[in-house]
Amino acid sequence: MALTIDVDHLGGSPSITVVALDGELDASNYERVIDVVRSAYAQGARGLVIDMAKLTFMASSGLFALHSALRIMRGETPPDPEMGWSALHQVAQDHDSSAATVRLAAAQEAIARVLERTGMTSLFGVDATREDAVAALRGA
Amino acid sequence: MAADTAPRTLRVSSGVADLAEVRRFVRESVAAFGGSARVADDLVQAVDEATCNVLLHGYGYGDEPGEVEIEATLRGRRIEIRLLDRGVPFDPTAAPAADTTRPPVATRPGGMGMGIHLLRTMTDEVRHHVRPGGGNELTLVRSIDDPAKED
Repeated sequence: MALTIDVDHLGGSPSITVVALDGELDASNYERVIDVVRSAYAQGARGLVIDMAKLTFMASSGLFALHSALRIMRGETPPDPEMGWSALHQVAQDHDSSAATVRLAAAQEAIARVLERTGMTSLFGVDATREDAVAALRGA
Repeated sequence: MAADTAPRTLRVSSGVADLAEVRRFVRESVAAFGGSARVADDLVQAVDEATCNVLLHGYGYGDEPGEVEIEATLRGRRIEIRLLDRGVPFDPTAAPAADTTRPPVATRPGGMGMGIHLLRTMTDEVRHHVRPGGGNELTLVRSIDDPAKED
């Protein structure tokens, strides 16, 4: 089963992007997730929700993609030069890296188990639904 | 111990694009043996990580991926999944696993040791042998009766 990635820019303050994953996240497609997050950050997103409601499998390469997403949203990872590195660097400096900027929403049981067994839940905000994750980023 | 069922086999050779087929094969095998969805989840995860290691690293970076033969067998109440390749010898039972109590630092997939960690924690036993003539034989064993294996 392939992976479908649906991106929804909600805007607002902070500007939030929801990335919904549908299918299986593995070594053949994890880079697409990183690319989407890099692009969202370049477009000004400062809060990210990864909606996992329809994600049925996640390999360790998917964990790497999540970890990369966290670093990108913290402004830590040098973005793709084609995205405009200097512009990106400027906004990264304005960013509060201590805030939890990436939240994982609606993970199915098997995915939640992988996140817990690898200690990844300590790095991310974890929410039952996409709406809860967006509300948490808005500070509601 | 003799196998209780005829082994089910799958050969893949195209690289990471084959991983979806590998996962389907493992899930179907566990179902054919009478295992639960939970047992299938654990073995699918472990076999994906093991196969990915071989396809990405076993035959050398940048080279054409080599062949991996996967064999699933029920012996007694244990499901055994054996991976055979002709790649570089690599023993995941001896490789460093992730320290999941510390934040990961990685610049590439695999750099976190998460795959090795999952491979070990999702199975009851992992055995590795270097094959005569080169390559690896990796056997992942999981009880079919344990519905909720925990760390």
